[in-house]
Amino acid sequence: MREERKFSVTEPPHISSGETVPRAMLDTILALVPVTLVAIYFYRLNAVFLIGVCLLAAVVTDAVARKIKGRKPSVSDLSVLVTGLILALCFSPLTNWWTAVFATVLAVGIGKEWMGGLGWNRFNPAAFGRAGVIVLAPVTVFLNRQFAGWNVSFPMSPDVVDSVSGATPLTMIASPQMTLDVPHLQLLLANPGGGGLAETSALALLLGGAYLLYRQHITWHIPVSILGAVAVLTTILGHNPADHLLTGGLMLGALFMATDWVTSPITDPGRIIFGVLIGVLVVVFRVFLGPTEGVAFAILIMNAFVPLIDRLTRRGVFGQLNAAKAAAAKATATKAA
Amino acid sequence: MSNGTFTGGIHPPDYKEATSQLAIEDIALPDEIFIPLSQHIGAPCTACVEVGADVSKGQKIGDSESFVSAPVCSSVTGRVTAIEKRKHFTGQEVLGVAIKVGSQEDQAKTNYLKAIPAWEEADLDELRKLVREAGIVGLGGAAFPTSVKLSPPADAPIDTVIINGCECEPFLTCDHRLLLEKTEDVIVGSLIMKRVVGASRVIIGIEDNKPDAIAHMTKATASYPDVTVTALHTKYPQGAEKQLIKATIDREVPMRGLPMKVGALVHNVGTALALSEAVRLGKPLIERVITVSGPGVKRPCNLRVPLGTPLNHLIAHAGGLNAAAARIVLGGPMTGWAQADLSASVVKGTSGLLALDKALAATRDEYHDCVRCQRCVRACPMYLYPNFLATAAEHKQWSAADKDGALDCVECGACAFDCPANRPMVRFIRDAKAAVMARQRA
Repeated sequence: MREERKFSVTEPPHISSGETVPRAMLDTILALVPVTLVAIYFYRLNAVFLIGVCLLAAVVTDAVARKIKGRKPSVSDLSVLVTGLILALCFSPLTNWWTAVFATVLAVGIGKEWMGGLGWNRFNPAAFGRAGVIVLAPVTVFLNRQFAGWNVSFPMSPDVVDSVSGATPLTMIASPQMTLDVPHLQLLLANPGGGGLAETSALALLLGGAYLLYRQHITWHIPVSILGAVAVLTTILGHNPADHLLTGGLMLGALFMATDWVTSPITDPGRIIFGVLIGVLVVVFRVFLGPTEGVAFAILIMNAFVPLIDRLTRRGVFGQLNAAKAAAAKATATKAA
Repeated sequence: MSNGTFTGGIHPPDYKEATSQLAIEDIALPDEIFIPLSQHIGAPCTACVEVGADVSKGQKIGDSESFVSAPVCSSVTGRVTAIEKRKHFTGQEVLGVAIKVGSQEDQAKTNYLKAIPAWEEADLDELRKLVREAGIVGLGGAAFPTSVKLSPPADAPIDTVIINGCECEPFLTCDHRLLLEKTEDVIVGSLIMKRVVGASRVIIGIEDNKPDAIAHMTKATASYPDVTVTALHTKYPQGAEKQLIKATIDREVPMRGLPMKVGALVHNVGTALALSEAVRLGKPLIERVITVSGPGVKRPCNLRVPLGTPLNHLIAHAGGLNAAAARIVLGGPMTGWAQADLSASVVKGTSGLLALDKALAATRDEYHDCVRCQRCVRACPMYLYPNFLATAAEHKQWSAADKDGALDCVECGACAFDCPANRPMVRFIRDAKAAVMARQRA
């Protein structure tokens, strides 16, 4: 029996691991589910609304920005949803929806699509949006005036309202006059402190980070070097390192924003340098500038150095060192002869 | 000394269970065979028979004057019906000799070489000459003439012969079966290699997904003090020459250098068998063992096949293809050649014939820009940055691709296997290699 069928001819390899960009993005969203649930538990519909606004704004901005470039929306790769979700988790439950929309438009429209789209963007889109609304404060003020009276908020339980309306844990540690009055264990497990939604549980973030590590979407280098640098530096400066590790956007930034594939170094030593310097910048910002979105700014600053870090930390090709050694030995031998 | 592994690599599912426990079968002779005159690295052969001539099994039918080349011999007794260009497994047309296979009785007529049973005392050049005349090339896939590898220059002494029993390509089990079934030949072949190059030891490296082969070979080599078996981690591409040397004796072959620079010589299990048969029996390289497998094959098997047998004949022996067959691959799924049909014939370097189904067969027509996930960087056994290299190649930035090590890439495909953006890394890098080499020649 002769087989007469024709088959497609393609280059090898003929099999693949099945890893895809959408799968990785879905994994990232799954990794953010625990902290999202904790935030929703405390802030109720306020959290749901904020997340919904960011996701919707991300999808619409992506569609519009890509339409301008003459391309189809990229929502199917799920990366805009990751940006939208991380951005929402950076904001406090009291954030106006127009500020969230503005940040998302900056993140997806400019930070991502305008810079070339997924793979080409130099800056982490979420950090870009979060920092953007601070840098562009005049625009936010203008928006606040325009939309005054259009704010949307939902009821929360009375003790959550109390703690949200007070100082956030970050303000407490980063202002000289205040001290942190929330136990570390509470910050680690579940605390409605009024900071970003993601600040409600460091443990939930760590769980998500562990999942990304397990799925090999991230490596330990960046989170460990950021958190390590912060711990060491704050200890040297006489602070309690746990105060810093468990407050503000540090945990979210270290695990989910600084580890962004596109905007972090591709070499392992480069990732360590990148992480350590982010940690240094975060501490400098917090200690000398007070409570700001230091993490977002630190990540953005280091994002700019990624090409340089990559170039300086590239490994040699297999056997390159030996080839160089052999060449040197030959040169010496020739000289001797 | 041996760390059993190398840096980088990937862990694809090995899909070997379909054939790993199946003994090697002989296959009925086809009506006609076609033996390409170029099936190795080096100069192609010129036919030394004419159309209409009667040839017998083992008779040389093509040879070349070049040092880097290997003759081809008839795998059957029969009559030459044509010397013409036909489709090769690479998709190109190559010149070859078509032979109508004679009757079963005719096959008893052989034209083998003069064996050297006393190889332990024989003249080394005589042994090298025999290896050359027998047409032996590396049977792992690259098909580099073995006689050339057995003639190292005096300034590169070789102390270790490494027998490659890794078989790190998924699906393939032919080397596994040879280790179990042709144990003595493999050991003797490796000892002949050791003697010819003046090495002091033989190391047989086997991946630890073949515990039966490791146990069997360890026992079989117990009485040979110079031969040891090393279990290696199961990781692709463990069987790549430089990675295997690193894993077994922890030496790093210099960039763009040959293994002899670090005193090592690597040969495949099948090559050791061919060498043993040539030296002890005078039998030229006229057959080899091939794994026929994959979800598209009705009856997966390990076959001993005369060289030149049409692929269709192998598939027929394996019960035919089923409806699910979507991609035909000659060789392993990581580096093998996709076939448009089954018209090509088996050559010396053919280690497998696979029929993949739609679920397994990867297509990379649609792909995303690089997302810098680092997976290819972690996978690359040559310590390259496949991401930068492939992106440079994609945009035809040939100088950048050259700087990024286009010529150091071994095309193992580990980067493409694990790329979430589905980028056709090997295609990009091959383009870059061709362009860089063209520029160097210019």
